[in-house]
Amino acid sequence: MDDGLNGRRLREAGALGLVVLAGLVAAALFVMLAGKDPLATFRVMLGYALGSGNGFAEVVVRAVPLCLAGLGVAVAFRCNVFNIGADGQIVVGAILAAAAVMAVPGLPGPLALAVFLACGIAGGAIYGGIAGWLRARFGVSEIIVTIMQNYIAIQFLTWMVRGPMQEAMGMFPRSDRLPDGAMLGLMVDGTRVHWGLALALAATLIVHVAMRHSSFGFQVGVVGRNPLVARFAGIADRRVVVLAMLASGGLAGLAGAVEIAGLHHRLQDDFAPGFGLLAIAVALLARLEPLAVPFSALLFGVLHVGSGAVQREIGLPFPVVWIFEAIVIFGCLGLGAVRARTVRAAA
Amino acid sequence: MIDMLFLIGLAASAFRFATPILFASLGETIGQRAGVLNVGLEGIMLVGAFMGVLGAVWTGSPWGGLALAIIGGIAMAALHGLFCLVFRVDQILSGIALIVLGTGLSGFGYRLTLGAAGTPPKAPPFPRLEISGLTDLPVIGPILFQHQPMVYLGIAMAILLAWFLRHTTWGLEIRAVGENPAAADAAGIDVNRRRWAAVLFGGAMAAAGGCYLSVSQVGGFVENMVSGRGFIAIACVVFGQWRPLRVLCAALLFGAAEAAQIRLQLIAPNVPYQLFVMMPYVVAIAALVLAARSTRLPAALGKAFVR
Repeated sequence: MDDGLNGRRLREAGALGLVVLAGLVAAALFVMLAGKDPLATFRVMLGYALGSGNGFAEVVVRAVPLCLAGLGVAVAFRCNVFNIGADGQIVVGAILAAAAVMAVPGLPGPLALAVFLACGIAGGAIYGGIAGWLRARFGVSEIIVTIMQNYIAIQFLTWMVRGPMQEAMGMFPRSDRLPDGAMLGLMVDGTRVHWGLALALAATLIVHVAMRHSSFGFQVGVVGRNPLVARFAGIADRRVVVLAMLASGGLAGLAGAVEIAGLHHRLQDDFAPGFGLLAIAVALLARLEPLAVPFSALLFGVLHVGSGAVQREIGLPFPVVWIFEAIVIFGCLGLGAVRARTVRAAA
Repeated sequence: MIDMLFLIGLAASAFRFATPILFASLGETIGQRAGVLNVGLEGIMLVGAFMGVLGAVWTGSPWGGLALAIIGGIAMAALHGLFCLVFRVDQILSGIALIVLGTGLSGFGYRLTLGAAGTPPKAPPFPRLEISGLTDLPVIGPILFQHQPMVYLGIAMAILLAWFLRHTTWGLEIRAVGENPAAADAAGIDVNRRRWAAVLFGGAMAAAGGCYLSVSQVGGFVENMVSGRGFIAIACVVFGQWRPLRVLCAALLFGAAEAAQIRLQLIAPNVPYQLFVMMPYVVAIAALVLAARSTRLPAALGKAFVR
């Protein structure tokens, strides 16, 4: 029997190697399709993202919102609620946070920051909560609702930064600089790495404890695996769905607020392009394990920042990053399928 | 009289705006009736939109574009089939991967080919169908009889598929594998074979819808131009209760919402235009909530079949 277990591990390691290899080959094929050298591409990508201090700092900066939103996606997906609306929740969180500190000027520093972040969480939570409630109350697909909400939120943002919240100068589609007290300072001088990093890591620990050691986390898991069993066990499954969406949206909203408070310092168009979709990839690669999410976010940060460098230095069109990400997602799914098959074979 | 002209224009363009959504949602209807959910329509439509323009420019004919788009759509759907039917991974997750892949493939491909030049070449559009006598009819003529062929093709497909599902053996078998695959299997139907056919058909249809959007409506490709229509198409399937003719009505409803939205922007320039752009998305959510009470989805939707 020991041998069987070892054999299974070996097969899984082999499958992992095979999937990684297949993914690299697929990525290399696309690079070659563009008439570029794949080895040079990978060298530039990793060289900038991991080999230079500046590049790695940018990777961390990019990973912070991905980690927060990825945690949110993980919470919802664990509950079998497919929140594809992190994009919208990020935007609504940021808008509400910015609106709050603009509406009440002159708050003392720490309080302003607390209000800013709390409103970010609230905005995302309410927006996500709507989708959760519609699913729990009417059985409406949260996938479609959250996607529709994304488009609505993005239109709302483009209006806000051209209308009610536009800067006093009225030149660009963006808000005025937000009060310094509400902003997050730099954590590492000489880079753009801000205190949002500490927040993201703290959130990771909190979500881990909540999922692993609280009754809410347990209920999320049961509802996610089998809502019928959950109901028979006396769990109010619909309530859990709404709560999971509130938490999921809240984390995404926090990501939006942190991105503004730490990086942009003002509301502007398209400040988090595609982060919500990326957050799904982050959560899937982490296999919905909160503690793995920061690492997964770092990897996608490397992909993103590295692809930017590749576009600058080699001229490979930037949308290739989405192809790489799709390869990673399909790779994760393929690996999951192999794992399921070996488990079935053993049973 | 201006009101009348306005309404005629609105009704006519409702058909045009409905067409991309209609194609995608008819394909999805067949897929879901066979038990396979594809939330990646958005990605497939993007690939279809890009390949359509590419093929139209290459061959100089919009039909060449449609052919290339359909090939692209089938390839995307084959990936979905591979992961859902062979590897049996979660259909929703595979669909999400398709969205990301379609975004990448269309954007990447566009920048390598058409977008590499300064001004992208214009795609030759489909010819407008003028039916002598009918097109000149008052009111009905401009609304119904001066569209491009794909508009009629879409409507014909809805009627054809309604008949197909109800009155043919294949239609019955497709419904059977979506409702009760075990029973279908016991009756000697190759479940996964029917599902493969339905999935590939869905991919071809979604890509055709994307092709109409880019080649006909916009006259070129723009990155992320599908902007949620893939999901509105899924909403149409649910709102249309998985029946092709009702799905046609749902698609027309969204076409009308989009046509109205654009006209309202012009009528009310003082209202921020973004509020109007939001409209179709709000309508989609409202439609789903309305349809929720009477929803009865195919029983085996989303479940892999294991013998």
